[in-house]
Amino acid sequence: MISRSAFDLRAVLQTLVESTARFCEADNATIVREKDGDFYAAEAYGYSREFMDYIKTIPIKAERGSASGRALLEGRVVHIADVKTDSEYALIEAQRLGDYRTILCVPMLREGVPIGVLILTRSEVQPFTDKQIELVTTFADQASIAIENVRLFDEIQDKSRQLEEASQHKSQFLANMSHELRTPLNAILGYTELMADGAYGEPSEKMLGMLKRLEANGKHLLGLINDVLDLSKIEAGQLILELSDYCIQDIAQTVRSTLEPFAADKKLGFKVEVAPQLPSGHGDGCRLTQVLINLVGNAIKFTDAGEVAIKAEANNGKFYVSVRDTGPGISAADHAKLFQEFQQADNAITRKKGGTGLGLAISKRIIEMHGGKIWVESQVGQGSTFAFTLPVVVERQVEAA
Amino acid sequence: MTKCILVVEDQADSRQIIRDMLAPTDYSIIEAENGEQALAAIAKQRPDLILMDIQLPIMDGYTATRRIKADPALQSIPIIAVTSYALDGEAKIAKATGCDDYVPKPYSPRELLAKIRQYLP
Repeated sequence: MISRSAFDLRAVLQTLVESTARFCEADNATIVREKDGDFYAAEAYGYSREFMDYIKTIPIKAERGSASGRALLEGRVVHIADVKTDSEYALIEAQRLGDYRTILCVPMLREGVPIGVLILTRSEVQPFTDKQIELVTTFADQASIAIENVRLFDEIQDKSRQLEEASQHKSQFLANMSHELRTPLNAILGYTELMADGAYGEPSEKMLGMLKRLEANGKHLLGLINDVLDLSKIEAGQLILELSDYCIQDIAQTVRSTLEPFAADKKLGFKVEVAPQLPSGHGDGCRLTQVLINLVGNAIKFTDAGEVAIKAEANNGKFYVSVRDTGPGISAADHAKLFQEFQQADNAITRKKGGTGLGLAISKRIIEMHGGKIWVESQVGQGSTFAFTLPVVVERQVEAA
Repeated sequence: MTKCILVVEDQADSRQIIRDMLAPTDYSIIEAENGEQALAAIAKQRPDLILMDIQLPIMDGYTATRRIKADPALQSIPIIAVTSYALDGEAKIAKATGCDDYVPKPYSPRELLAKIRQYLP
């Protein structure tokens, strides 16, 4: 019996109470279950309104004064042929209002502990048969399963709400931090540039060199802050693609003009092979530029000799874009790890080459939000090719899994 | 005639950088530390351009921008939003609020000056 909410549960238990009473030829039936630490009668069948108004206000204690109390106390079936001749039976007013003589109480157990009682009564003295008791036991088991399902379901919902809140807090914290970090960085980078430009007197050749390094480090720090901010936005579901028309050729050119000087510094070749007459794309051109800059930037960073090549083509309504390098290559065991947060293939390389290990994780999410796929083809000593495909036309953002 | 730039910025370092950046130029400069001070300064002397930080105490940059752009006598003054609140869509919000341009922090003084020269050649 699947019931997903307290509301469903009441309906399920109500049906169950009625069926039990009918199948076992009882005049009345009710379920006692826990509410705020005490047990009360809840769903009922056949009893007068007067009786229910009365009984619902009485907490059922695990004690011998009532049949259901005894069932709670002992965790087993309690069968009283005539409550009027039971010397311990103390619910005199209830008996008068309910007008019952024979009572059968079957505890509903969770891991051996009673979480409620299924109660059947008859107005005449007429004990239940063993077969009927067995049937009620089956119904009681069903009731406890239904109650347990709802409890588990509530628990899961509670947990996931807590997790969601924690994740929201984390993302908000990261966003605030990134913001707070930018302000001092503005002073660091600003003064550095002014000094290099001679605003405070002509710097010596040596000072200029140091200022250049100060600037490079400040910009690196800014890159880290931006990556952390991007990732926190992705995690909080706040990274929204701005969909409009873009041109792959233009993106490749932007990336070339941004990064070719860095390749030239390392004496690396820089190739751009964009197939002629590619269709115009629809998606977030800025974010796709960010992805390509990340891939090409990595390629330049990790390649010491040879070349870096961007290739773009379209097939069957999809763009295929790849970045090939003649770098050291990556072992197959590290391929999947590359796209996880804070992972690079080799920590020793991180120390030497820098980088946050966030760029590929962000790229992956951006490509996936476009309904695309990103992967790497590489072997140690053979260079690497990072490639992605995505639909030429993206009508709406794909939510992160 | 000397063109006057109003710098609205609560961070002393950021004001210093802009002051130093503008020192070799012909622009004159007035400073305000929040939106309210900015409006008071404008009432005294009409600037030719405003560099407006957004996150400010007392009155934020967007509120000040709205007041300025609602005033027919002032609305033609170009306002460049300069903010470290660099979330997605911040540029759009700045434009929608009435800012004429948007520069995210940290900025390069060289590039900021180039942007100012676009408006005050």
